Amino acid sequence: MTQRMHPLVAQAREQLAQGKLHRREFLRTVTLLGVSSATAYGMAGGILGENLVDPAMAQSGETPQAGGILRVGMQVQKMDDPATYNWVEMSNQTRHTLEHLAITGPDNVTRPMLAESWEPSDDLMVWTFNIRPGVTWHNGEELVADHVRWNIERWCDPVLGSSNIGLSSIGALMENVDEEQRLREGAIEVVDDYTLRLHLNKPVLSVPEDLYNYPTAILHPSFTAPFSANPIGTGPYTLTELAVGDRCILRRITETTDGQPFEYWGGEVYLDGIDYYNFDEDNQLVAFAGGDVDTIYEFGIEQLEFAKALPGTIEEARTAQTLCCRFQVDQAPFDDVRVRQAIVKGVDNTVYRDLVFQGSGDVGWNHHVAPVHPEYFELPPLERDVEGARALLAEAGYPDGLEVTIDVGNTDGPWHQTVCEIMRDQLQDVGVRLNINVMPASRYWEIWDKTPFGATAWTHRPLGTMVLSLGYRADVPWNETKYADPEFEAALDEAEATFDVDERRAKMERVEKILQDSAVMVQPVFRPVFTIVGDQVRNLQAHPTQYHQFNKVWLAT
Amino acid sequence: MTLLLARRFGQMLLIMAFASLILFMIFDTEEFKKKIAVAELGGFAVSALSDQDYQEWLAAKGLDKPFYQRYFTWIGDIFRGDFGHSFEKNTAVGPLIADRLWNTAILAFWVFALMIPIALVTGVLAGMSEGSAMDRSLSFVSVFTTSIPEIATAILLTVFLALGLGWLPAKAAMTQGFDPWQLVLPVLTLVLYGFGYIARMTRASMAEVMTSNYIRTAVLKGLPYRQVILGHALRNALIAPFTVIVLQLNWLLSGVVVVEVFFEYDGFGKLLLEAALFGDIYVVQAATLIAVVVACTSQIISDVGYTFLNPRIRFA
Repeated sequence: MTQRMHPLVAQAREQLAQGKLHRREFLRTVTLLGVSSATAYGMAGGILGENLVDPAMAQSGETPQAGGILRVGMQVQKMDDPATYNWVEMSNQTRHTLEHLAITGPDNVTRPMLAESWEPSDDLMVWTFNIRPGVTWHNGEELVADHVRWNIERWCDPVLGSSNIGLSSIGALMENVDEEQRLREGAIEVVDDYTLRLHLNKPVLSVPEDLYNYPTAILHPSFTAPFSANPIGTGPYTLTELAVGDRCILRRITETTDGQPFEYWGGEVYLDGIDYYNFDEDNQLVAFAGGDVDTIYEFGIEQLEFAKALPGTIEEARTAQTLCCRFQVDQAPFDDVRVRQAIVKGVDNTVYRDLVFQGSGDVGWNHHVAPVHPEYFELPPLERDVEGARALLAEAGYPDGLEVTIDVGNTDGPWHQTVCEIMRDQLQDVGVRLNINVMPASRYWEIWDKTPFGATAWTHRPLGTMVLSLGYRADVPWNETKYADPEFEAALDEAEATFDVDERRAKMERVEKILQDSAVMVQPVFRPVFTIVGDQVRNLQAHPTQYHQFNKVWLAT
Repeated sequence: MTLLLARRFGQMLLIMAFASLILFMIFDTEEFKKKIAVAELGGFAVSALSDQDYQEWLAAKGLDKPFYQRYFTWIGDIFRGDFGHSFEKNTAVGPLIADRLWNTAILAFWVFALMIPIALVTGVLAGMSEGSAMDRSLSFVSVFTTSIPEIATAILLTVFLALGLGWLPAKAAMTQGFDPWQLVLPVLTLVLYGFGYIARMTRASMAEVMTSNYIRTAVLKGLPYRQVILGHALRNALIAPFTVIVLQLNWLLSGVVVVEVFFEYDGFGKLLLEAALFGDIYVVQAATLIAVVVACTSQIISDVGYTFLNPRIRFA
């Protein structure tokens, strides 16, 4: 079957051939435009003369063995409503039962999953998803486009409280009526059983990427919370036991609930089961060392040396996960841009990566776009300017300096506090006395969007534009800085509507610069993610968002 | 005696009612309700909720009613054997607590079974001849082990015995069902921490008895030393440690949070900590009631036991 290819695919091929597009960006871009990953790898291989293999299919030359249970150390949480999940751990517990329309791999490239392919219109405002035929729910029904419509409509209901509303693509399906966001009439069109069309009100490039955001798992329309009570999905595993804070046991599903043999659409799956055992983050590495588990959710930088001493392989992923020491721009004294600029000028962003992460990770330049993002534009490095900062403070009415307090919840580990401590020492020279108010993580999440000055962790998102849309547009719920700049949003709109990576990157210069100049945060580092894998485990890679993808993982005996 | 028991029992009920009422009042504050919402839905999602949605959420959780109303409903439910529902664990509180209490009971049993004999023997040996080389060395050991915090002992033991030598499992999560080997490190940690205290109490008590006139008389009478110790000194020397030992029950119930959390042992202390951090009201409430029962019961036992051990003590 020949499929119509998006005209921009040809352009991407040309760019790859000319060396203007890196291999990874090429793969990302053309798969986003609906080319299957196998074809994309084939194209890239043909152009570059390399033998490229889809990492999901990559093997170490060994023949995979079926059988065995993979034991994973992770916090085991409750599984209530997948659309309102607020922890990655929850989504990992359902990730092998519920699936998404698209899947972003450890290489940060997004590929088709429950959607077999997709075609955006040339203006990127109408996206047609071809739902994969032959996908069976655990209750024996076949997945159809209407099920997907049901899910997307549900996310758009503000009463549900799903964070999916904050995604560019889902936001572009909604309209503002009487101060309330609601789904636009006709925004979701079910063309036939296997075709679904999304009509956006603005061009969005990241629709497939959005559809692998962790609360976008596709549920069966019979769903009622809690999911754990009736775990119907399309994945190869089903939940057999959940004890929050203890264990989550997943087993291969061989029969549908109506007694028919269940065949998984995604081909061979090797593990008989996946057992999640509850270990708090600080305990996971010791649990691994003690042989309780085969792999863990994550270990922190402070445990790196310990991990190196253990048998097993350390897996590291470069990410866009970061800490935003952000101001609320409508609260004194941060409502004065000179105060914010003075603080930003007093900080040397380059030292954090080495001091906190032993040289791993990337330097952040206060605009929240990471070097792993394909459209990252490298702005000139910020220079620390103590004199300039002092002058700005004096101008703002603080000639004798200023005392400010930052709230820190260490929600992503004690390194948050370390970052703040380095910042405190640097700011001393400027005359800013920084108090660090450390509080329990749970307490921090109560005030994260209210505190005038707080250190908030932001997770990785595959594209830089995605995170900027989530956090820095005026009317989005996660706008913790209260930053509102029409000029910034217009520039971001333009970047989000630009397919060409080079062009988009050029447009990002302005986006990044506006945000950086607005001095809404000190965001000095993007952190790496570490996990460790036992010697017998094959095909398991660290994912930049700690998403577990174990369908092709197997255990060597 | 019956009167004493009845009075003590009445006191216990009063404390339970009072403690739970205070907790209900604390948990009734807006802040706490918000905390539960954040824990349930996540900070990001809560900030996206409108006020009306939030009120609906409260109503769905039954948190919109005034606390006294909820309090009396809760008490009524308890009499029917229903301890409420855990927000965090999404399960009934009764069976959850029973399960965790059982785990802690297993841990406590082994700690007591090891700690008491070791502590008493050490204390008696040390107190028998105050100032001797044996006294000094045993006192040093018991002060040394007791003065190291549980967390440090736990780390040291894990590093040496589990990670270094590989003799014992590092964690006690019991992922593959109950495994007695996994219990060794937590028990050892608690014994090392707790035995020194009782040993010191026993030693002091023993030393005091050994200086009393009747012991001197017994020795001067030419009784074998062994008989002096076992027949005359020991019973009097054990009165003071007895109280301490019984009161250790409290410590083993809710004071072992550090050890349970460190070794990931699913006991009562760990449950209480998790519930407190999450703001899981009904779990905290039920756990408090149980803690009060155990505290009061252990006091009653120690008071009653005291009268048996020391006939000079009588209750009015």
